[in-house]
Amino acid sequence: MAPIMFASLILFLVVGYPVAFALGANGLFFALVGIALGLLEPALFQALPERIFGIMFNETLLAIPFFTFMGLILERSGMAEELLDTIGQLFGSVRGGLAYAVIFVGALLAATTGVVAASVISMGLISLPIMMRYGYDHKLAAGVIAASGTLAQIIPPSLVLIVMADQLGRSVGDMYAGALVPGLVLTGLYAIYVFAYSMIKPGSAPPLPPEARTLHGAALGMRVLTSLVPPLVLIFLVLGTIFLGIATPTEGGAMGAFGALVLALMRRRLSLSLLNQAMDKTAKLTCFAIFILVGSTVFGLAFRAVNGDLWVEHLLLALPGGVIGFLVVVNLLVFLLAFFLDFFELAFIIVPLLAPVAEKLGIDLVWFGVILAINMQTSFMHPPFGFALFYLRSVASRDLRTADIYRGAVPFVIMQLMMVGAVILFPGLVTGNVEKHQKVDIESIRIEAPAGDAYPGNSSSDDPARMFNDDRR
Amino acid sequence: MKLLLKLARGIDALNSLVGQAARWLILVAVLISAFNAFSRKAFSLSSNGMLEIQWYLFAAVFLLCAGYTLLSNEHVRVDVLLSRLSRRKQLFVELFGLIVFLAPVAVLVLVLSWAPFVDAYTSGEISSNAGGLVRWPVKLLIPAGFLLLLLQALSQVIKTIDELRRLPDAAAPAN
Amino acid sequence: QDNKQVKWRMSTSWPKSLDTIHGSAEEFCKRVGELTEGAFEIRAFAGGELVPPGQNMDAVSNGTVECNHVLASAYIGKNTALAFDAGLAFGLSARQHNAWIQYGGGLNALRELYKKYSIVNFTCGNVGVQMGGWYRKEIKSVADLKGLKMRIGGLGGMVLEKLGTVPQQIPTADIYPALEKGTIDAAEWIGPYDDEKLGLDRVAKFYYAPGWWEGSASITSMVNAKAWEALSPRFKAAFECAANEQTMKMLAKYDARNPDALRRLLGQGAKLAFFPREVLDAAFKASHELYGELSEKNPDFKAMLPQWKAFQQNEASWFRVADSALDNYTFAAVTAKPK
Ligand code: NA
Ligand code: NA
Repeated sequence: MAPIMFASLILFLVVGYPVAFALGANGLFFALVGIALGLLEPALFQALPERIFGIMFNETLLAIPFFTFMGLILERSGMAEELLDTIGQLFGSVRGGLAYAVIFVGALLAATTGVVAASVISMGLISLPIMMRYGYDHKLAAGVIAASGTLAQIIPPSLVLIVMADQLGRSVGDMYAGALVPGLVLTGLYAIYVFAYSMIKPGSAPPLPPEARTLHGAALGMRVLTSLVPPLVLIFLVLGTIFLGIATPTEGGAMGAFGALVLALMRRRLSLSLLNQAMDKTAKLTCFAIFILVGSTVFGLAFRAVNGDLWVEHLLLALPGGVIGFLVVVNLLVFLLAFFLDFFELAFIIVPLLAPVAEKLGIDLVWFGVILAINMQTSFMHPPFGFALFYLRSVASRDLRTADIYRGAVPFVIMQLMMVGAVILFPGLVTGNVEKHQKVDIESIRIEAPAGDAYPGNSSSDDPARMFNDDRR
Repeated sequence: MKLLLKLARGIDALNSLVGQAARWLILVAVLISAFNAFSRKAFSLSSNGMLEIQWYLFAAVFLLCAGYTLLSNEHVRVDVLLSRLSRRKQLFVELFGLIVFLAPVAVLVLVLSWAPFVDAYTSGEISSNAGGLVRWPVKLLIPAGFLLLLLQALSQVIKTIDELRRLPDAAAPAN
Repeated sequence: QDNKQVKWRMSTSWPKSLDTIHGSAEEFCKRVGELTEGAFEIRAFAGGELVPPGQNMDAVSNGTVECNHVLASAYIGKNTALAFDAGLAFGLSARQHNAWIQYGGGLNALRELYKKYSIVNFTCGNVGVQMGGWYRKEIKSVADLKGLKMRIGGLGGMVLEKLGTVPQQIPTADIYPALEKGTIDAAEWIGPYDDEKLGLDRVAKFYYAPGWWEGSASITSMVNAKAWEALSPRFKAAFECAANEQTMKMLAKYDARNPDALRRLLGQGAKLAFFPREVLDAAFKASHELYGELSEKNPDFKAMLPQWKAFQQNEASWFRVADSALDNYTFAAVTAKPK
């Protein structure tokens, strides 16, 4: 039934009703079919409020309102525009200058949050309007923003890598170290793509027209100073407080939001109406992003209830033996399944099944995990069911057509797949950065405990024999 | 129909009111989270309650704003086909989605989430972490949020039917 | 008459990578199948696959799933007396706990307690004595606990809070970076074999023993009362046998694997340390103060505490005569450095 479930999901989505409810309804529909066929008991539905409670309880998701709020304050107060405009002035004559800036900001943001929704939404808010205004090709703008946003899940910290470490039984630290270089290479690939695109289609990523480049010399220097201060302060507040051990990564988002408020206040741009607008939009965007999770939790429950996970297990039984063959087939399969399942479900269902096989083939599990993480990055990006594309849709104006978002995403999906291939061919990209476990002969290691008893010093007054005799008398 | 439209307007007003109140909780969550990190580092002053209140507020925002978000039509859709349909057909899709997609899930969750709230309330369930918070308020948020969502769906159904009725028969295709 | 196929779902609180605890749950299911020639089929789901771990007790209570596989103290927010099922700070050892459950009145007392939640409980495993967690700095005195920011949940957190520690149950995703940068000073998990996988030794060198708040973490399978009553006697017996078997095997697995895991951790540079006696004294005192307070607040807790305490005292006296005396001597003799 699982394949039918996938097929009908596409149908449900294409109807054009909001994704969150289409997902939920699809799950519910198949759960009902499952009940009719005797595959599951209605009692299992009770898991729904419990799963929703699990989403509420997931504090990591606080990154979504925090970063969205920060992005909105920056956008509505004009600080974001000022910053990107300055970059435009600086690199004004460079084609694709803004796109490089977006990729760079995406990588920075990725270093502070592991929640893709938070990163795509805030990036879309800050940079999409200005890219559109400067006449960027819509497909390119959408693709760059969505893809740079998904860097959040491959550049540490990252929810995906944590789930992967958890499922593979490897340390989060190793996973983070292993993913860093591929994440940066991917960032570089995006930049190369922008470069090539702007060479082949010069009109797609235009430099600022000379008449817009109004600032030169000292004036430009001043402008750079004044408009670069806020983002630097923010970067310190978000990244710096995490690195100084003040804030957890989740709290780093709140620090950023708080900082944006203070900055706007200092520049006298914080009005009650701006605050209201920012809170209003944050509330709606958070609600929409979380309801997609609610919808997919209904879908996920039904998928398991009709034994969809067993069906996937069955698919995995026919894997070829050799290392390369195994990796290629596994990645193809993950890529295809990622069209329908979000990475949580994917990671939970297939990774535990693959891990023992991979280990038996002598595959380094950190390497394997990073390969899968890059592959699953495409699950955020590929149409019609890429979460990052939905997030971008939610903050984009109607001028940006959904079809352009979809088409813009495709080259980046291809780049991510190329990266998967590169990491398979060059394991050093991952393993080179992972601290080698010292080869220690454990036979040479003694567990030292204080002689006999870690807590000696029982006086004769509480001699056990006496206590025993006293008690019994 | 007039009476129904009045009801729809009432629901809209209710959800706007709730949404506009709940959105302030975002600011509160930001301030608490940033302040907690600061006071933990500076004065070793914090508690699990300070951490838990953050996800309570987060949950309150996305659940209490569920109806408001639907009212504002902020839920993302795959609108590749939809945007090419005539207004009449778009309205039919809307009606279909509200009744077949949204309502059943909302009703189901609303009904099933009531008993867990009552349990938590009568048993006085609290967090199992030191200094944690009482649980029933956050469990009440699920039925409350889905009730608001369901009410809004009702309002949208009424408004959609009304628009369909007022649509001239030979509707011009939407651009 | 019980050839009828029965299919159950078991929702565990563990990730699949915990081959110790989750592995035991899967083995349990397999054994029930073998004992009933496949007629009684139980499928284990990892934490979050069906319901989030925090909801596992509710899920059994209301029949979402037929049974779970949990640490009962995760649900002390519902009723603090559930802590007796998993084990209290400075409580019974694994062997003593099983003695209490099987022949010391424990099972009856707990069954009464669980009745309120339409649950029948089965002891289904034990982790043994856990470690006291990973610390960025040494704990030399009770004063070092003051202001210590530590990720520790449950009763252990409540006891430490009395000693001035700041328990911070930060999200799982944040533990590693927060400990690395010093946002928190310490975090605890289980014991060497499971802790090794988290890799916290990279970011907090001091590995403290003993985990006095979890001197025996007894694992429970809670079963929905209605589902239990509907089972045939043969299936019930199979369930109980498999549970008892895992009570023995989980502990055996931990005991067999922990020493080498600890040696590997030490080889990677972890520093083994012991809480000073002064710290244990303060923690012991605070624990019993806490039990007094919990008794005031919760009649269920109050009803169980005296009987459990008396049992512990009696066991402790006997174990000091027999096990501790011989263990202390033998352990020292066996581990003595060759001259
Ligand atoms: Na990240
Ligand atoms: Na522990």
